[in-house]
Amino acid sequence: MDTPGADAPTRDQPDHAEALSMRGITKRFGTTVACDAVDFDVRSGEIHGLLGQNGAGKSTLMKVLTGLLTPDAGSVLLRGQPVVVHDPLAAASLGIGMVHQHFSIVEALTVWENVALGDRAKIDKRRAIAETEELSERYGLDVDPRAVVRDLSAGQRQRVELLKCLRRDPSLLILDEPTSVLTLQESAELFRILRSTVKQEDRAVVLISHKLDEILASTDRVTIMRDGSVVARMDTADADAPTLANEMVGRPVALERLAGALGLVDVAAARDAGDGDAGHDFDRGTSPPVLQVVEARVHADDGRPLLNGLSLEVRAGEILGLAGVEGNGQAALAAVLHSLVELDSGSVSVEGTEIRTGRAGAMMDAGVAVVPADRHAAGCVLEMSVAENLVLDNLGSVSRGHRVSRQLTLDNARRLMEEFDIRASSPDSLMGALSGGNQQRVVLARALSRSPKLLVADQPSHGLDVGAVAYVAEMLRDAADDGMAVLLISAELEEVLSLSDRIAVIHRGEIMGVLEPSEFDSETIALMMGGQRA
Amino acid sequence: MNEPAPEFNSHRGADVSRMIVLYVAALSIALLLASTLIVLVTDASPLEVSEALYRGSFSSPSAIGFTIEQATPILIVALGSLIASRSGLFNIGPEGQFAVGTAAGGLVMFQMGGPPAVVLPLTLVAAGLGGAAWAGIAAFLKAVRGVDVVITTLLLNFVAIQVVSFCVNRYWLLQERTGGRIDPPQSPLVGESYRLPRLGSPTGFNVHTGFLLALVLAAAVWYAVSQTRWGFRLRMLGFNPLAARAAGVNLVVLGGGALVLSGAFAGLAGGVFFTATGFRVTSGVLNYGYEGLLVALISRGRVAAIVPIAIAFGALRSGGGYLGATGVPRYMVDIVQALIVLAALMPPVIADRMARARTMRVIRSAARVRESAPAVPS
Repeated sequence: MDTPGADAPTRDQPDHAEALSMRGITKRFGTTVACDAVDFDVRSGEIHGLLGQNGAGKSTLMKVLTGLLTPDAGSVLLRGQPVVVHDPLAAASLGIGMVHQHFSIVEALTVWENVALGDRAKIDKRRAIAETEELSERYGLDVDPRAVVRDLSAGQRQRVELLKCLRRDPSLLILDEPTSVLTLQESAELFRILRSTVKQEDRAVVLISHKLDEILASTDRVTIMRDGSVVARMDTADADAPTLANEMVGRPVALERLAGALGLVDVAAARDAGDGDAGHDFDRGTSPPVLQVVEARVHADDGRPLLNGLSLEVRAGEILGLAGVEGNGQAALAAVLHSLVELDSGSVSVEGTEIRTGRAGAMMDAGVAVVPADRHAAGCVLEMSVAENLVLDNLGSVSRGHRVSRQLTLDNARRLMEEFDIRASSPDSLMGALSGGNQQRVVLARALSRSPKLLVADQPSHGLDVGAVAYVAEMLRDAADDGMAVLLISAELEEVLSLSDRIAVIHRGEIMGVLEPSEFDSETIALMMGGQRA
Repeated sequence: MNEPAPEFNSHRGADVSRMIVLYVAALSIALLLASTLIVLVTDASPLEVSEALYRGSFSSPSAIGFTIEQATPILIVALGSLIASRSGLFNIGPEGQFAVGTAAGGLVMFQMGGPPAVVLPLTLVAAGLGGAAWAGIAAFLKAVRGVDVVITTLLLNFVAIQVVSFCVNRYWLLQERTGGRIDPPQSPLVGESYRLPRLGSPTGFNVHTGFLLALVLAAAVWYAVSQTRWGFRLRMLGFNPLAARAAGVNLVVLGGGALVLSGAFAGLAGGVFFTATGFRVTSGVLNYGYEGLLVALISRGRVAAIVPIAIAFGALRSGGGYLGATGVPRYMVDIVQALIVLAALMPPVIADRMARARTMRVIRSAARVRESAPAVPS
């Protein structure tokens, strides 16, 4: 693995003072110790990786730093000066900027309006646009200030977030899982920008990530947290993937299982070697198609085609991976299969029966379960309890007549929480109080508990930590082995490569071709993602 | 390895006590303001006024009965408003639905012959249907053209008043023939035997059976929204329409249905008022609809809270009537009522502002820290 060891700053270089020192930070929630006397140091001019699983305490630590939480003990020093950060605005004025995993931009506004949002002085449109343009040029972000955010891809939206942050000229920039929605190229570009920002302007960057390769490729030093404590600090040059993974999980990890999702090995090669189909209980070759999409067309409100005559088949017992650059119709396809969008023309059939599109619940009734990309939008109801979220679309199973039985709802919740390892203090906990990984487990548990014929998993590992990614991968594999048809939509090529039995590549709402395992090859797929037909 | 995420509720205890303080403070200020106004505007002392309010509302069995009578339509309207707001559609047209319900009930009452046992129930049913149909216009516009429900229901209030006014100015519809030279714009009086039966002694405590109907409805609404699949789906729709749609909930059917049902409640409230209290259809604005809406607002969606709050509003009405008889202008009661509503709605707003003010103080102090910190090298 290539590491930027040569670029790593040396300890005794006086210019690189500690930009940030957190000393003995302790934060308890009831009996849970989220952070236990954590020391965390970041130097100016470095990219510092913060690695850890959900619940390891890294979010709590960053929430303390950005003023969302008040620590029970400990102190924060910025450039040697003790500071007290009561809230995010105070953090911003101290020069701490954070790009959150979930975007906090207004979709209906233009880029420059989003960037200027929160300004107190009178807004000068021309100046704001010029400023946005200048910033975007300086950092090579390539965003049109006049574009409306709604029309932008996930990668571009992230750049807007970054612009918002950089405009405040932060001396410390925190990025929370920044590449979870980006394509490979976009990620590479992001890290190139970060690297130059840090080098030229002597900022400090904290990169929160669960992707080991990202940490290895782009950070100077890394701090690893587990169970509320820092378990290791090292120069990235001295680290390798197994070391990081073991420190993070606290036990030796079978990396092969995670490899694809983490992007560590050439999975295609491994698959060619013949272990791809091992362990299948199901003969995919002869199994009938569960899902047939024929010549599907959908237009956006502004007339842009989203699906442009897309045809696709998913067979029982297989995982069909749908690869493609984000924004090429994946979201529209998922929405159609989620009964949220109606086709302009074309058809969707499940086991040979044509299903009416756009009709609430029709796909669900036909045996299609969807794990949506944005679980907060269509996947769950944050204001309702975990137990209720586990039966959102399956009320009949916990009802007696018209009455929803609380007992049955709770029984169902306890069973699924146990089976899918969902950690919540009780089935009555609000969905919104759960961590992202646990929310995803709830969505997955609900989808699988219906024993669907087709499972559509749209970016299922978006924003999850290593453990959860592996878990999701395992769940999908098991579901397919049990004879379920699985459509895996993912912007992460490694994930598609490691999990799929066949791969379809989508480009501008059309399928460029479908590849069998023997044809799996990153280069071929990359070309197809760019619009070349197989 | 998959730890439960900490749930950030450590401040909940402090928040509750702060909210209680805020509520007490807000209500005290409202009452103080009201007293001051009364002294300034009238000769009466606040003590006299509150005594009059009490005499009119709770001092005697008959006063209590009168309070309950006033509270009944408010309660029924509020129950309907709760249903609509649960689905995420805010019906602010109960006043118009109430008026249309009254007129629809009146048409059945005065145009259809028959024994009371047939006509009276049909009057109430017609009132409910009238209110439902009026809310249905808003639901239809929402379903076919996506027109905002808040706007349509609000504007339909004004149309409703005109429609009822039209009805009570036409002999072939509702207007009464008195034989005089000019007939007032109102319907005939409901005959004794066609009125909702009353329970209790005529001179002491007595309530009409409409109140019992309202209590039954309250229990039914509680059961429906909190225990049934329908209520579950309604909440889902209110919180997250997209997730609801994916789970098979049809916005048009369920949301539109909730809106129509809330209209039916408002219409029924009109029918109950017409057959138990008012006995005539008139073109005036009675405010039961708006007050029911306020009750639902203050209750924040809890059925258990709706009943006592509706009775408190009824007390202001009955006490206000008594107060009017003592010479204090009737509008003083409206002012007192408005102040109390404001007092009940303010605390969450104030709590929010206090949090903001705290934030601003922190920012200023943080800015000072930054200025005194060494300059950022660049």
